[in-house]
Amino acid sequence: MFKRKHNPPKATYREVFSKGSAATKLSFFLMGSNALENKQWVKGFCLMLSEIVFLIWFFLSGIPTLNSLATLGTVKHKRVVYDAAQGVYVTKQPSNSVLLLLFGVLALMIIAAIIGLYIVNLKSTRHNYVLKRDGEHIPSNGEELASLLDTRLHATLMAVPLVGILLFTVLPTVFMISMAFTNYDRQHPIAFSWTGFQAFGNVLSGDLAGTFFPVLGWTIIWAVAATATTFFFGVLLALLIESKGIKHKAFWRTIFVIIWAVPQFVSLLMMAQFLDYQGALNAILQNLHLISHPIHFIDNQASPWMARITVIIVNMWIGIPVSMLVSTAIIQNLPTDQIEAAKIDGANSFQIFKSITFPQILYVMAPSLIQQFIGNINNFNVIYLLTGGAPMNAKYNGAGSTDLLVTWLYNLTFGQEQRYNASAVLGILIFILSATFSLIAYRRTNAFKEG
Amino acid sequence: MKSYSNQRRLSLIFRYILLTLLAVLWILPIIWIVLASFSYNDTGFVSTFWPDKFTLQNYIGIFNNSQYPFGYWIRNTLVISILSMIISTFLTISVAYVLSRLRFAFRKPFLQIALVLGMFPGFMSMIALYYILKGLNMLNLGGLLLVYVGGAGLGFYVAKGFFDTIPRSIDEAAEIDGATKWQVFVHIGLPLSKPMIVYTALTSFIAPWTDFIFSGIILSTSGDAKTYTVAYGLYNMVHTTKGNATAYFAQFVAGCVIIAIPITILFVFMQKFYVNGITAGADKG
Amino acid sequence: MKIWKKFAVGGVTLLAVSALAACSNGSSSSSSSSSSNDKDTKGNITLWVDTEQVTYYKSIAKDFQKKYPKIKVKVTQSPNGSANAKTDVGKDPSKAADVFEVPNDQLGQMAEAGYINPLSPAATKDIKSNYLNAAYKGVSWKGKVYAYPYAQQAQTLYYNKSKLSASDVKDWDTLTKKGVVATDFTNAYVMWPVMFSAGTYLYGKDGETLKGSTFNSENGVNALKWYAAQKNNKGVMQTSNALNQLKKGNAQAILDGPWNAANIKKILGKNFAVAKYPTITVGGKKAQMEAFLGIEGFAINSHTKYAKASTLLAAYITNKKSQLIAHEHAGQIPVLKAALKDSSVTSDPVAEAVAEMSKSGNSVLQPKLPQMATFWNNSAPLISGVYDGKIKSSQYKAQLAKLDKAISKK
Repeated sequence: MFKRKHNPPKATYREVFSKGSAATKLSFFLMGSNALENKQWVKGFCLMLSEIVFLIWFFLSGIPTLNSLATLGTVKHKRVVYDAAQGVYVTKQPSNSVLLLLFGVLALMIIAAIIGLYIVNLKSTRHNYVLKRDGEHIPSNGEELASLLDTRLHATLMAVPLVGILLFTVLPTVFMISMAFTNYDRQHPIAFSWTGFQAFGNVLSGDLAGTFFPVLGWTIIWAVAATATTFFFGVLLALLIESKGIKHKAFWRTIFVIIWAVPQFVSLLMMAQFLDYQGALNAILQNLHLISHPIHFIDNQASPWMARITVIIVNMWIGIPVSMLVSTAIIQNLPTDQIEAAKIDGANSFQIFKSITFPQILYVMAPSLIQQFIGNINNFNVIYLLTGGAPMNAKYNGAGSTDLLVTWLYNLTFGQEQRYNASAVLGILIFILSATFSLIAYRRTNAFKEG
Repeated sequence: MKSYSNQRRLSLIFRYILLTLLAVLWILPIIWIVLASFSYNDTGFVSTFWPDKFTLQNYIGIFNNSQYPFGYWIRNTLVISILSMIISTFLTISVAYVLSRLRFAFRKPFLQIALVLGMFPGFMSMIALYYILKGLNMLNLGGLLLVYVGGAGLGFYVAKGFFDTIPRSIDEAAEIDGATKWQVFVHIGLPLSKPMIVYTALTSFIAPWTDFIFSGIILSTSGDAKTYTVAYGLYNMVHTTKGNATAYFAQFVAGCVIIAIPITILFVFMQKFYVNGITAGADKG
Repeated sequence: MKIWKKFAVGGVTLLAVSALAACSNGSSSSSSSSSSNDKDTKGNITLWVDTEQVTYYKSIAKDFQKKYPKIKVKVTQSPNGSANAKTDVGKDPSKAADVFEVPNDQLGQMAEAGYINPLSPAATKDIKSNYLNAAYKGVSWKGKVYAYPYAQQAQTLYYNKSKLSASDVKDWDTLTKKGVVATDFTNAYVMWPVMFSAGTYLYGKDGETLKGSTFNSENGVNALKWYAAQKNNKGVMQTSNALNQLKKGNAQAILDGPWNAANIKKILGKNFAVAKYPTITVGGKKAQMEAFLGIEGFAINSHTKYAKASTLLAAYITNKKSQLIAHEHAGQIPVLKAALKDSSVTSDPVAEAVAEMSKSGNSVLQPKLPQMATFWNNSAPLISGVYDGKIKSSQYKAQLAKLDKAISKK
């Protein structure tokens, strides 16, 4: 499918520089001159303009921005002064470190981008040089543009999404990572400084350690339990709906999927009321004489494990329909010959499920299971909206018994204490957790596939 | 033979009973929510399954609430979700197509970086997002749209899995006939990916209706309730002041039921595409 | 191959950065209009209030603009309510309103952080002499006043007077014998003040001394014992939805604040009654059950470009007329001595009960130290754990010592 591109013989940059034309030489300093020489107007003009804009920016604003990135601002304290003329106090603000950090990171990204452009410029220069040297056709301006819809289609289609990713995902993520190395917290809310690994120390061995490790443990248990239960019962439900004789399959599926349509901030809020000590479920169970006293499911008086199990069960209510839908289609496409053969050999349906259907589904779904697992580590809604972390735990600092790392992170940022640096540390640790688990899992599934 | 068919019938009846039971279990909380939206409530807590007193007042109230302009919220959310649906779908499908069908040097690194980025929890990026949008002077619905669309390039996994299943020989045949890659994309790739487009469109259409966190961070500063989306508006209604949680609870539930209706209808109509869409992705991961 | 993509990225990023840079340069500075006449003060300012107050503050702002025609005021609702002023302002002080409503326990932290400006000596003098002493103290931090107070809040006892008599509710023991009181032991705002009744201090007698807490003592243990004893008291109901229990008749009394008075009136109708907290027996002694006293005020954003205009607005919306309007529309209890004497306030039973509760001996002003954030986070699990028995009596001392240490850290 690839139109094998003409592979030009190598030419070193040294050769390009020493033997190339004046414009080619100039290209090493002023990007795009070679392209202009070869009448690739659009490309040359864009390259040259971006270098000029970059240089102007760099000397006017880039250098001070990078300087403030190193210090995060020099004015660390506010000053309140009395303005006698107006008869009011006014505050001289300290440096706004958040903005300085953000601009600093952005400046680094811009420098990286311009370096990338420079390399591209060199490659293009060399390419043109080689074509010229070998007397081949150099693409004209029109041909260059036309290639954007053909051999360079990927560049055209990726440009806009890539800008979005850089600006709205990469930049914030780098910003977040840098925050973990500062003292951005309640005591330094506007001007803060670099403090190295101090915040990591607080989380791993300082005042948050007593909370971090238990919460980490519960997060892992939760992620495993939530992923396993929804997957396993989702498959069973799908098999049930797909089994012979059941009519109106689409109707049944729709019933289970409807819960997606109700926003979770109401369905889980109402679920919390339903499960309350004075809620409807306890009332119903008491009326049926199944229990003599109401049960504390998820309120603050509940025992931690009761609440955790309840949360996992409620999560099944939300998660099973998803995996039901996913496995439905897999089941529809499973090869039936093996099953038929097993039937002839006299295997019962449980045996067939255990040794044929389930392993096959597991095999196909392994990658999406890993993604679900990571999704569950970061499952904010279920915990935040259902329990809010309850029951409270006097042993923890700022978290409850059902809080996951991610909800605790949220509390540290937007709750009373405003420990931004600690929550950034948590963010990094969550990343390490997810990365480790998925690395192991991918390894294992690969081994599984080969074996 | 007779006993065999009897056994089968018995098994079918048993399966129907089980299915019905499960369906009731799943649908009951939803019915309860709908019932609650029709019940008179002045305490902010629903303690019974069947309402003591029915009323339509909650629905009338939510549309005539002077402090919480529900009509504006629906309009805003509709605009945002339609625009986000169109743009995100195009971006996601393009990225997925490029990563699946085209080969270029940056492809592998991009896939790896995307995987890594996906593992950072999104919350911490909110502070940065806020300041980026502030810098662009877009702390408004436009900025929110940018946030929804900005991440679209990373949501390609399912769609890429789908494209991976389409045999490549189709493209090659077209290219031998002299078609450019763009033509292949437009005339072959896109028409083939219809279930995928519907799936992507549906997910990106629904997101603005249920997201109360990002919309809260971005829209709250304006203080103008007319610029909220429905999810943040409703959430805000019962989570700001202490007395409000009680006073507006029933209207809040009614509002939530109203926005669930169109989404449910969409689901019912598009369920088939949805199943096909998810499956295709799950097949190859 | 990659030229075009990379170029596009670079170009757009450059554009973005120049936009960002351009915006960031607009640093805030105080305007230097030095006119001595208040009437000519210019300004274009925003006011944040709670959602349900927007309507009447709009009309107050209209009157204000008649008096100061050169000041433009925009009244909007605050993002997450005044109770979250600290986080709402902290998210981005330069985008927050010039004047905003804030409960007094957040003032210390906001002042330390530099989010708000102290008030002028003249305003300080005015507040000191014309407002309740508790209100003056409530908005003072390190010798300066940081907000114009406009309302006081203290929890009181609301009860169904067809079931309980006024003398029944005078004492916790008779109250819980004759009826059921619904309350929430997971809420430190409601429950911590029992500690005060037991004779302990939080951050010293003045509420501003970091190392001055005395709850890590025998008295503190007595209070914890009181919480634990309530678990077996049949007349005490732990609930997250007290209003609902009151409505259903499962409870006849609740502990709640003036912000819910209107809702409770709706539920109880003509049986609505309100009283100050009862006495309780803690540590073997009868003592008045205390509450936290909160002062609601309007503070001035230190990032404002119009410090003078903002000050004028904050002063205006907390004057006697405005406090009475807030009382009429939202049941806010005034803190201006003159407003408290108004007949509309004296005839309001809720105001009467709250005013009674605000007297010293019945309530303690919420401390304003920044460490209050830690206090709220850590005290609730302690009380809740003691109440439901997760924390055994043998651990009481150790738990109190732990809390003391956590909240007195710098």
